[in-house]
Amino acid sequence: MFPWIRAAFNRTRTWLSPRAVDQDFANELDAHLDMLTDENIRRGMPPEEARRAARIKLGGVTQLKETNHELRGLPFIETFLQDARYASRMLRKNPGFTAVAVLTLALGIGANTAIFSVVYAVLLKPLPYANPNQLVSAFQANTQNGVPETGTSYPNFEEWRAQNHVFSELATIDFHQLTLTGRGEPSEVNTCVVTPEHFAVLDVKPLQGRVFFPEDGKRGAPPVVIVSENLWRGTLGANPNILGSSIILDKRPFTVVGIMPAAFRSPFINNKPEVWIPLVQDPLFGSWMARRGGHWLAVFGRLKPGVSIAQAQAEMDAISERLASEFPAENKGWTVRLVPMQKEIVGDVRTALLVLLGAVGLVLLIACANIANLLLTRATSRSKEIAVRTALGAGRSRIIRQLLSETSVLGLLGGVIGIALAYWGVRALSSLLPDNLPRMNAIRVDNFVLIFALALSAIASVAFGMVPALFASKSDIQSTLREGGGRSGESGNRRRARSFLAAAEIALAMVLLVAAGLLLRSFSKLTSVSPGFDAQHIVKAEVSLPQFQYSKPQQWTAFSDELLAHLQAQPGLQDSAIGIPVPITNGYINLGFEIVGVPPASQSDSRLANYVSVSPDYFRVMGIPLLSGRLFNQQDIASAPSVTLISKALAERYFPNQDPIGKRLNFGFPPNGDVDREIVGIIGDVRDMSLGDAPGPMMYVPFAQAPFWGANLVVKSNLSTSAVTAAIRQEVRKIDKDLPVTDVGKLPDFLDASVSQQRFRTFLLGLFAAMALILAATGIFGVISYSVSCRTNEIGIRVALGASRATILRMILRETLLLTFAGLLIGIPCALIAAHLIGHMLFGVSANDPVTLAAVAFTLTGVATLAGFIPARRAMQVDPMVALRHE
Amino acid sequence: MVSADKSDILQGTLDLMVLKTLDVMGPLHGYGIARRIEQISQEALQINQGTIYASLVRLMQKRWISGAWGTSDNNRKAKFYSITKAGRKQLNAEAENWQRISAVIGRVLRLADRG
Repeated sequence: MFPWIRAAFNRTRTWLSPRAVDQDFANELDAHLDMLTDENIRRGMPPEEARRAARIKLGGVTQLKETNHELRGLPFIETFLQDARYASRMLRKNPGFTAVAVLTLALGIGANTAIFSVVYAVLLKPLPYANPNQLVSAFQANTQNGVPETGTSYPNFEEWRAQNHVFSELATIDFHQLTLTGRGEPSEVNTCVVTPEHFAVLDVKPLQGRVFFPEDGKRGAPPVVIVSENLWRGTLGANPNILGSSIILDKRPFTVVGIMPAAFRSPFINNKPEVWIPLVQDPLFGSWMARRGGHWLAVFGRLKPGVSIAQAQAEMDAISERLASEFPAENKGWTVRLVPMQKEIVGDVRTALLVLLGAVGLVLLIACANIANLLLTRATSRSKEIAVRTALGAGRSRIIRQLLSETSVLGLLGGVIGIALAYWGVRALSSLLPDNLPRMNAIRVDNFVLIFALALSAIASVAFGMVPALFASKSDIQSTLREGGGRSGESGNRRRARSFLAAAEIALAMVLLVAAGLLLRSFSKLTSVSPGFDAQHIVKAEVSLPQFQYSKPQQWTAFSDELLAHLQAQPGLQDSAIGIPVPITNGYINLGFEIVGVPPASQSDSRLANYVSVSPDYFRVMGIPLLSGRLFNQQDIASAPSVTLISKALAERYFPNQDPIGKRLNFGFPPNGDVDREIVGIIGDVRDMSLGDAPGPMMYVPFAQAPFWGANLVVKSNLSTSAVTAAIRQEVRKIDKDLPVTDVGKLPDFLDASVSQQRFRTFLLGLFAAMALILAATGIFGVISYSVSCRTNEIGIRVALGASRATILRMILRETLLLTFAGLLIGIPCALIAAHLIGHMLFGVSANDPVTLAAVAFTLTGVATLAGFIPARRAMQVDPMVALRHE
Repeated sequence: MVSADKSDILQGTLDLMVLKTLDVMGPLHGYGIARRIEQISQEALQINQGTIYASLVRLMQKRWISGAWGTSDNNRKAKFYSITKAGRKQLNAEAENWQRISAVIGRVLRLADRG
């Protein structure tokens, strides 16, 4: 056994049976005393004196016993328990103080824990796949054209897969919805379109059945499907014989070969997946597989063990160079970029979350400063008690230990209540979180988060406990004891410390308020920006046509013509149109185009614009103005000359100082990419990607000349949303009872949802800033009221000597303002730094926005003055007679 | 107040002296150890005899000495301590260490004098 283990063992044993050991030592000391006395007597001392001399020689018996007890036992634990007991007694005696301190701390810890649980789940928790560090995403990038990352084409993917030696497997994934029929109401199911290796890359096993075999991905293979446990238990009725039977997707039977467990999610897909089908079977993407051009396929893979991402990148660089020289038309200028999958999934949410975590950390810091201030105040009134303890022989470290155990009891209480708040907070957050936040399903208060919360409260209690404890233990006993009864004065040091804490609170609150103010201003700018169309009273709905039934473009046109005709015949629904995609709500289609007769100036001169296919009434319904030329009309049909409308931005960028009308553009949605179209008009710009992105070049084509296998309906109507929706459903059902109508809603609601992340972070930061403001105000209030109560005497003398109430008020308010301005002075540069950190989240507001800065400074000054005014009023009402008799 | 590190050195020194005394003298009670140390140091080290006991507890906890109640020369009941095998090993190691340190300190001090 190691000596220290033995020692610890002995100590523990002694601690458990203290009495016998203490008695043993007492006997030993008695024997020692007797022997010393004998010796002294032998030297000729009288017995009485011999005994006395022996006592002196041995030293204080009681002290020896104490030391012995401490050495043998576990004094640390004993004193801690003793201190903790004492501390809880003290805290019970001051319920007001305790409640304020614990509540402040609990709010701080709770908010931090809740935000941390989101940060942990989204940013830190490893992906729920085996060896997630080996998983990477692969993109194509074109730096010349400013494309940082996009998908690739299937032929390129096949080359990557065949030529690389660094990936144990590569796979692709895409996502859309298919129509499930034959099981009750027709419904849209979330469909992951994958290459067969998808499951091997992620290293997952099915709940039942099998995953895809490589043969399932070959052209001409029978269609197979893997369903999710949820779909199987729900819509499919938990049928035990589901394997081998078939389900109907887009009017086509697929044989079920496996069931994936409910917890399994495919990467990059936020929606709950319901079915997985091989890419080759997909009605939409499957038809694109032969084309080498295009960037629609999301690729990911698993690195071989021991291969670093840099090695893999080097190999992919070589492969992409080969592809560029082999297929220059499609691959020139394109490189491959590898990104760790976790990083890719988290995306740009990272900064927003870290900013929130930082903000909530600041709130906790303010809370700690506040509690430290409260404790300092209390330590001042307790300085007598501490002086007595010191006089009775308590060492400085002992006093610090005692005060720290008091604060750790506070910290523990705050922590426990904070964790309870966090549970509630996480639930509240989950309902607030934007739907498109990645990995949302992983957010919960789990063990790791709990450990974080406990560590946080421990750190916090040391943080706010240390300063007052140090001050208290340093106090001069003599002067404290000498100052008769009543209130003892406060040392200058301590007052400075408290003023500094209060000013620091103001500074921290300023940082948060400026950040929140900037976000609030940019959010209001963002939501009031004109998108270029009028969303009011527009209802939007989607109908998609199963390609196996509606396989020809003529059928698509016929369907949409019929649907529009039926709708427009209804009273109140005349303003119905089709637009694919609808701006902001459906994403965008970015296509290259050529100006007929004008070759691009250089290879890198990219001619890209967003593509929209619309029915003639679309512009009228959406309120997009025609600037020159004409709109589409009923004559622009498939057999008529192809026409296009371009946006103002496209006209200005590609036809500067020219009239583009009559000129021709060549473009089209694959596979009909090579169509010359005459420009017949210019229409207003539209923010089609997001409210925050400036409008880019756009080109519109008549739906009749470029139909899709489905329709996005936009209906402007004064009827209620439910009436419009019912009408749409009814008309669709009349044409084909198996077609589901999806994504129905008011267009303004969709616009609202598109800024949900911004709203979320603005709301939270605003909430934290409000907490900071309240805490800082409490801090100022505490400092000033304490200062007033310390100065009652002085104020009484001043009043007696003829100072007017206004003078007293001015005096106290001056103290308040001094503190506030000191805080603002520290706060402004800090706030500016913070503002620049969040600069990229701002919209239409500069990080140095003087209005926000001034408003925040003004607000803080106002609130601080108000907080100081309450004690100042009390000071004003000091009765000189009472004050002078005060001590 | 004596700062912690200084008293640590003193503690260590006292422990070493107690060990050496027990090594040389055989089993001895607390009073005997204290007397012996005073005599050896030719009364230069006037300790509060009680401090011996802290040292004894520490040494007991490390199992470098063992203790048992017995009878003294003049027929008094007293607790006798004796050095253990582990204690002897520790003593040798510590003594060596001590001599090395004191030699180094001596050299350093001489150096300082010359400089």
